[in-house]
Amino acid sequence: MSRPPTNTPAPPGALAARLRRSRAALGAVLGLGIALLALLPASCGRAPGTVAEGGAIRFWNGFTGPDGATMERMTKRFTAETGIPVRMQIIPWATYYDKLTLSLAYGDAPDLFVCHANRIAEFARYQVFAPIAPLLAADPSFDVDDIIPRVRSAATYCGTQVALPLDCHPQGLYYNARLFREAGIVDAGGRAAPPRTLDEFLAAARRLTRDEDGDGQPEQWGFAFTWLRTNWITFLSQFGAGILTPDLSRAALAEPPALEATRLMRDLIYRYRVAPKPEGIDAWMGFRQGRVAMAIEGIYMISSLQTQPGLSYAGAPVPRFGPNPGVWGGSHMLCLPRDLPAERQARAWRLMRYLSDHSLDWAAGGQVPVRRSLLRTARFRRMTVQYQFSHQLPYVVFEPPSPKSNEVTPFVDSAIQAVLLGIQSPRAAAADASRRINQVLERP
Amino acid sequence: MSASLSSARRQEAATGYLFALPYLLLFLVFMVGPMAYGFYISLHEWHILGRQKPFVGLANYRALLADDLFGIAMLNTAYFALLTVIPGNALSLLLAMGLNARIRGETALKTAFYLPVVLSVAVVAIIWRWAYSTEFGWINHYLRLLGLPPAAWLNSPKLAMPSLALMSIWWGAGGQMLIYLAGLRGIPEELYEAAMIDGAGARARFRHVTLPMLRPTLLFCLVMAVIGSSQVFGQSYILTAGGPLYSTLTVALYMYQTGFSLYRLGYACAVAYALFVVVLGITLVQFRLLYARREGEAR
Amino acid sequence: MGGRPRRAMRRLLLYAAMVAAAAFFVAPVFWMVSISLQPENEVFSKAPHWLPREPTLRNYRDLFARAEEAPVARWFANSVIVAGGGTLTYLLIASMAAYAFSRLRFPGREPLFVLVLATLIIPGQVTIIPVFLVLQRLGWFNTYLALIVPGLSGAFGVFLLRQFFLTIPRDLEEAAMLDGCGPAGIYARIILPLAKPALATLAIFSFLGGWNDFLLPLIATNEVEMRTLPVGLTLFLGRYDMQYGMVMAVATVASLPVVLIFLAFQRHIVRGVVLSGIKG
Repeated sequence: MSRPPTNTPAPPGALAARLRRSRAALGAVLGLGIALLALLPASCGRAPGTVAEGGAIRFWNGFTGPDGATMERMTKRFTAETGIPVRMQIIPWATYYDKLTLSLAYGDAPDLFVCHANRIAEFARYQVFAPIAPLLAADPSFDVDDIIPRVRSAATYCGTQVALPLDCHPQGLYYNARLFREAGIVDAGGRAAPPRTLDEFLAAARRLTRDEDGDGQPEQWGFAFTWLRTNWITFLSQFGAGILTPDLSRAALAEPPALEATRLMRDLIYRYRVAPKPEGIDAWMGFRQGRVAMAIEGIYMISSLQTQPGLSYAGAPVPRFGPNPGVWGGSHMLCLPRDLPAERQARAWRLMRYLSDHSLDWAAGGQVPVRRSLLRTARFRRMTVQYQFSHQLPYVVFEPPSPKSNEVTPFVDSAIQAVLLGIQSPRAAAADASRRINQVLERP
Repeated sequence: MSASLSSARRQEAATGYLFALPYLLLFLVFMVGPMAYGFYISLHEWHILGRQKPFVGLANYRALLADDLFGIAMLNTAYFALLTVIPGNALSLLLAMGLNARIRGETALKTAFYLPVVLSVAVVAIIWRWAYSTEFGWINHYLRLLGLPPAAWLNSPKLAMPSLALMSIWWGAGGQMLIYLAGLRGIPEELYEAAMIDGAGARARFRHVTLPMLRPTLLFCLVMAVIGSSQVFGQSYILTAGGPLYSTLTVALYMYQTGFSLYRLGYACAVAYALFVVVLGITLVQFRLLYARREGEAR
Repeated sequence: MGGRPRRAMRRLLLYAAMVAAAAFFVAPVFWMVSISLQPENEVFSKAPHWLPREPTLRNYRDLFARAEEAPVARWFANSVIVAGGGTLTYLLIASMAAYAFSRLRFPGREPLFVLVLATLIIPGQVTIIPVFLVLQRLGWFNTYLALIVPGLSGAFGVFLLRQFFLTIPRDLEEAAMLDGCGPAGIYARIILPLAKPALATLAIFSFLGGWNDFLLPLIATNEVEMRTLPVGLTLFLGRYDMQYGMVMAVATVASLPVVLIFLAFQRHIVRGVVLSGIKG
């Protein structure tokens, strides 16, 4: 019955269990760091800011999976051809920009890094990029006009080109050709016929949505939304709408054309019943399982399909849902940090140029090159899905080039998710998101 | 004599400082210093990439009060605490009592209950993401087999937070169970025997012996559970990213997003401090309860 | 009397409840291991396979084969170094501080200890940004120092050990003092050996904490080679092209050591809690 009076109660288990979850858990002081240094001398080899063994180009990107392997091969070939070593760091996109920003803010920035088109304005506002113009001027053999103007302008902020676009990754229509043939949606030659208009799309989707056991839960869906925000942008663009007004000063989601596009998306689920409620990643798994017949996704998804034998997939341009052609696209842009010494900059430029010149190799893994000369090649035509998707380049739409684009994104995500899950009406969701977006835009 | 005593004292004090020094140094640099620095940052408009970081006084805190997302995050966090603290501790206590009932296979059972505790949050999230998937997850698969309607575990604003809470209880209950088990083992057997002689049934024994004897453990576990749940981050960061419709946006996640996605460090630090103050308040109330009870016992 | 069948019934119910609870806790983990042993086409089957039909180690082989992009073996080593090195160092430093706080009188001892204790309730998120800036200023990014040292400032171990040291009878020390033993000798030759159960408990918790830590290694490393297992795991979580079998294999690899350590030391945990007398 004795309970030591000194005891402040502190069961270690609970505490540890909790603390472990926070970062602090580990414990206490290391004997002044001295003990630690003694403990780990061999392993502490990597000092911060250790730039590059033997003057290698430090190149950061977020290309995980097959993309990363492709990029690795390309840089190796570059090294073999030029003798310039490349030290590539792959940081998954989920944390990539955190790391990149910190390195840009506190030094230790890489010599060359990838930035998505939709983040260019945000970073350019803080002047972290080195302008590209001097490098272009110093390398007259590089024809900058070979780059598709629409994409090139996405690499420009306030009239200054700050990046070299490596690729473009528009969305397109992926469809399961076997399911199309089974449903009899074929052309005269018996080949699966992807829809080109809204009516064709709805007709196909209805036939492809099948509830075999009649429980009201289709086992197979005609269509599924995957990445909601970009799917939304595709629909919006076809109705002449967008997230922000063209001058980027206000939200445009509550304007009539935007609402029309949003309602159409909602109707695919609740009125036409040809698509399930969205579940992000799982919808794409459904496509891979053969339970979803169509999805609108980026060209980069091709690599995940290529590894899956037996799936009869194909690609086509996104159908015309609204009055205008339009499709969301992104682009990987090659960027240099400001304040890079001239000779390191020149070396990094050689790699940039090499990657651009060889962007067909890159495209094979699921990208569309943005050099007109490469788009015309026979080799590119043989990349069937990429080639199909590339037809959309003339009307590809990037996310609004506002420095606040990234801050606005969570509200956009949340609004379209709420609409498609049936939580909010299109009008209410748009009003909600617009209010929040305008608040962000008004803040200096 | 007194001189030598005081010199012994001085020596002891010097030794004491010397022994505590390594820890205190690190404590200063990585705990006290960052606490102060964080507050300093919260008084500035501090964008990571910004060249200037102007002093703005309490503007970040004022903005916080007007920020409905922060309010939502606070409520969500409180809701998560409500969903996990009481049910989680109740479950842990029940498990501990079961183990304490001289049961066979105690080690195997104990290990089973504790197994999830050793997993990292990333692993836990990956496992449950699949389990919870509406279309493809195995929970719904079995619901369908039983003829029950499948649920949108992570995709409905009503269910998302309870789903995260269930997962968190699964993850953490074993840890508290061990504490309760230790607490139960510390209760002298004679007390139960005395109660039996007085004719107390199982329920009465629990109310009049177990609960009072366990009260310090209980309150401690509750305090730590509240602190822990106020910091909930990894679950919603990995599984729901705060959605749908902000229903799983927690304060810690909101802080991470403003700080590490939007790079508004000043504001993020203000969020963290506001959370700290609230948790501190709750903890002080709990401690007061704890000590009040103890004095009551001593009488 | 009927008491006996009722008691037996109750026993039975108890066992049933405990087994059901155990299933609830174990099933998801079992499932993780099972998926890691399944080939891709089985992973994507429509109904869940709890037991692999064609068990394969392919996921594990692939895992370690992609060393350039995802050096799992290196991450494993990192985790061992960070969790192991951190635990050893913490045991040393925390026990020294705990010794000072429990046995040696010096001015400011009590307020200092209260201050240390108070930080137990500070959420890690409050200090993470400043800690990050401190690490940056120290130039420790991508080093083991950054992964280990900040965790050493935690108050938990100091508190745990102090509570335990307080329960060690003073007579032992007095005897040693008469033999001419100084404070350092008492610490090393009396306190530490007697505190083994508490040290073992703390070691386990520290190791688990270090092994599973997520936020700090996430922000303090960006080089692939410097990641720990839980953070490296995220490399496999592509947005879409997730190879579930492989992800589960990494998760299994990441969990195995901590599970084994728990199995080996689980006796000490409860014993340490009981012996520290700080359960309440």
